[in-house]
Amino acid sequence: MTAPALELRGLSKKFPIRVGGRLLPRYAEHVAVDGVSLVVPTNRIVGLVGESGSGKTTTGLMAMRLIEPTSGQILIDGKDISRLGHAELKPFRRQMQVVFQDSYSALDPMMTLAQIVAEPLHIHGLMTARAQTEAALGWLERVGLDRSYGQRYPHELSGGQRQRVAIARALILRPSVLVADEPTSALDVSVKAQIINLLQDLQEEMGLSILFISHDLSVVRSLTDTVVVMHRGRVVEQAPTEAIFLESRHPYTRSLLDAIPVLHPRDRRRRTFQSAETIATGIPRLSARDLAAPAMPSATPQLVTVTPDHRVEAIVTA
Amino acid sequence: MSVEISETGAPVAAPVYKQRGPLYFAWRRFSSNKAAVSGGIVLVILVAMAVFAPLITKTRYDAQDFLGQALAFPSREFWFGIDDLGRDFFTRIVYGARVSLSIGFIAAACSVLIGIPLGAMAGYFGGRADWIIMRIIELFSVVPPLLAAMLLGAITRGGFATIVLIAALFGWVQVCLLVRAQVKAFREKEFVRAAQALGATPWYIIRRHLIPNSVSPIIVGFVLAIPLAMMLEASLSFLGIGVPPPTPSWGQMINTGMNFMFFYWHLAVFPTAALAITVLATTLFGDGLRDALDPTLKGR
Amino acid sequence: MILYILRRLVSIAVTFFVVSVLVFLMMHSVPGGPFDGNDMPLSAAVRAKLMAQLGLDQPLHVQYFNYMAGVLRLDFGVPYQSPGETVIGLLSRAWLPSLVLGGLGVLIGAPIGILLGMAAALKRNSWMDYLASGLATLGLTVPVFVISMGLILIFAVWLNWLPASGWGKPERWILPIIAFAAIPLATYARYTRSAMLDTLNKPFVTVLRAKGLSERRIIFQHVLRNSAIPMVTVFLPMFIGTATGSIFVEAMFRVPGLGSYFVSSIQSRDYPLEMALVLMVTLMFCFAYLISDILYALLNPRIRTGGRR
Repeated sequence: MTAPALELRGLSKKFPIRVGGRLLPRYAEHVAVDGVSLVVPTNRIVGLVGESGSGKTTTGLMAMRLIEPTSGQILIDGKDISRLGHAELKPFRRQMQVVFQDSYSALDPMMTLAQIVAEPLHIHGLMTARAQTEAALGWLERVGLDRSYGQRYPHELSGGQRQRVAIARALILRPSVLVADEPTSALDVSVKAQIINLLQDLQEEMGLSILFISHDLSVVRSLTDTVVVMHRGRVVEQAPTEAIFLESRHPYTRSLLDAIPVLHPRDRRRRTFQSAETIATGIPRLSARDLAAPAMPSATPQLVTVTPDHRVEAIVTA
Repeated sequence: MSVEISETGAPVAAPVYKQRGPLYFAWRRFSSNKAAVSGGIVLVILVAMAVFAPLITKTRYDAQDFLGQALAFPSREFWFGIDDLGRDFFTRIVYGARVSLSIGFIAAACSVLIGIPLGAMAGYFGGRADWIIMRIIELFSVVPPLLAAMLLGAITRGGFATIVLIAALFGWVQVCLLVRAQVKAFREKEFVRAAQALGATPWYIIRRHLIPNSVSPIIVGFVLAIPLAMMLEASLSFLGIGVPPPTPSWGQMINTGMNFMFFYWHLAVFPTAALAITVLATTLFGDGLRDALDPTLKGR
Repeated sequence: MILYILRRLVSIAVTFFVVSVLVFLMMHSVPGGPFDGNDMPLSAAVRAKLMAQLGLDQPLHVQYFNYMAGVLRLDFGVPYQSPGETVIGLLSRAWLPSLVLGGLGVLIGAPIGILLGMAAALKRNSWMDYLASGLATLGLTVPVFVISMGLILIFAVWLNWLPASGWGKPERWILPIIAFAAIPLATYARYTRSAMLDTLNKPFVTVLRAKGLSERRIIFQHVLRNSAIPMVTVFLPMFIGTATGSIFVEAMFRVPGLGSYFVSSIQSRDYPLEMALVLMVTLMFCFAYLISDILYALLNPRIRTGGRR
């Protein structure tokens, strides 16, 4: 069995928050991400969904080592990179790249598009300056922008065009893993579809593995192979995309699904806005005998394997 | 479109530049500010005078060629009269511009050179580095620059280099704060995150992304440090602990002029006016630049 | 609030210590003491005796602690330039002219500056606005001694209306007071104008106008109150500017105040006098900081209820 392109094992992030006075501060911990484990197999797109504040962006940034995890492991092609120093990490940086939500602040306003797209080559000291520019212009074409855009500055572009540039910059090093942090949520609907199509095409061409972070479930449904649902810093459900949409087990996942607007009034579901309490009471109770993998019975919810590719947070009974 | 240079040596015109950049609007704002534009024009004239001083004056600045006519009033031959030591006063004033402006510019350059790295460090790394740098700045702001400069000037007995040093010592604070604020605002931007994700070192990010994006505050800090340094020089020279004679300095001349002002008014009027005009023009120019480049007006 | 003030006092003490050590070291690191470069060279024996008498032959840190111990008893030593009296005695005579002239300058300059700034903000781009901005730029950029020189040249030399210098008769005070008033006037004109403009552009003012409130009530009840907060923060730069400017004003007008003693102490390397002045000035500035921060906290309801800065 080959190692997955990206694997997170028990990743946690705790932020200290001051609760006491200024003179004698006391600190409490805010747990932003709590023991998240997930796998992005090679050549697959995994969706990471959840409401804002659920810790999905923090998880994505930790996977990139842009935020240091408090504990847990990050594996790229089976190698743990969570403890590597700056220099040792650098070769792995070539294998994983990121696209951000806000395309405006993602591009340095003082640099031309050609410089922006060529920057990864520059940082990694690949090719001559001329070849770097040539490669950058080629990538601009590949993401659907004319070569003449190379001389332009980010403020001259539309949001969709800027996001194309950001994608070109992320992919010019030919990474194997791409973390896409809500790349479409700041875009108009029509532009959104174009960017999704572009990502899909490039993924197929390059055999990319993508961790696609989004709260837009309709996009997730059309793009991803597997969906991981996060709630309050924890993974509450993980299943193949269609299984999530058709047979989700966790109450939080269902409330997310209920929030999707539907096209026809006939299909209109009852919209439920569920509080944390109702979600807590709705957590499924499963018997240990029904599970695909062994689990210890306990009164607190734990992530259990229902079928080989469907995991859900549940209370396990004997 | 290509980056190539055309045969005439001028960059190929870029027809794709239909959208106007932030610099264009900054220029528009600046050029509609009359005070700033006139300040800039006066400053250019003063700089030209200082640079071409030997061409527009009759004698060397320390030549006592007119001792017989010492203290003569302004005339057609001697525009600003003759000073108490028989030197052409116009020459002295023009060379005074040289001293004043060169101290202003060099000190401002030094301020920028100290202020940029410290400001960038404080803004980028935050935490302990920021704390230390901010405490240093706090120390500098409790002691007013003029007093400290007087003390330092008194101890070192002045001199060109000392004054530049003192002015830079107090001028970097403002540059540092401006750069720090800008870097702080930009370090959370996602293009910085993207560079980090590429494995760029902090120094690379500071050099390539954060400092170029701080050009506006750096320019403003530079220009506004100039009048500060000129003021310091004039004040110290006025107290007799600045640039030593016979190097002409307006502050020094005002001090001399004070002793003669009731009878030979020209010795007091011209250096006073020269200093006031120069400092005023530079400040108006700098204020105009700041308003034009102000990031809060950029319409982000 | 009390905790906050205590914290600030501690930090003032630290700053004061650092500044005093730095100044002390600086002044003693210079080659040449008060007896060098004089008109009358002293014999080595006399010199050594004098140095011993003044404690200048001991190691530096001992000198420093001796000195600071004296300072706590308000004993700043004997000024070298007039050995007949103590530093504190000399300074206690000197502060009165400074306080009178500086105080009157601020009392006259600040209100005029505020009125000018208000008028400028309410009538933008009128001659009033240009006058206020012009005066503000002039006062804030041109060194005080240049302003003083201009005043003397115009009113004393050219028009011959007022005496140029001295101390005693009230008419001699007029020009120095105007010179002292320049910085408060300029500072307050500039900041009042920008604070008022800021407030006038806030949405809540538009709402008040839409409600049909009279312009007068909008200005006096709402805009002024909201503009007052940034104006308090200006107190400090104004204070520092006026205080440093006093040195030059007093030198120009030959007023026997603290500033002129500062100049003469610097020119004659009078360590005890210089140290005393620097320490007093530092302390003054530290407390000016504290006062302006406290005022700010008291006036700003957001900070007051939040309990932290």
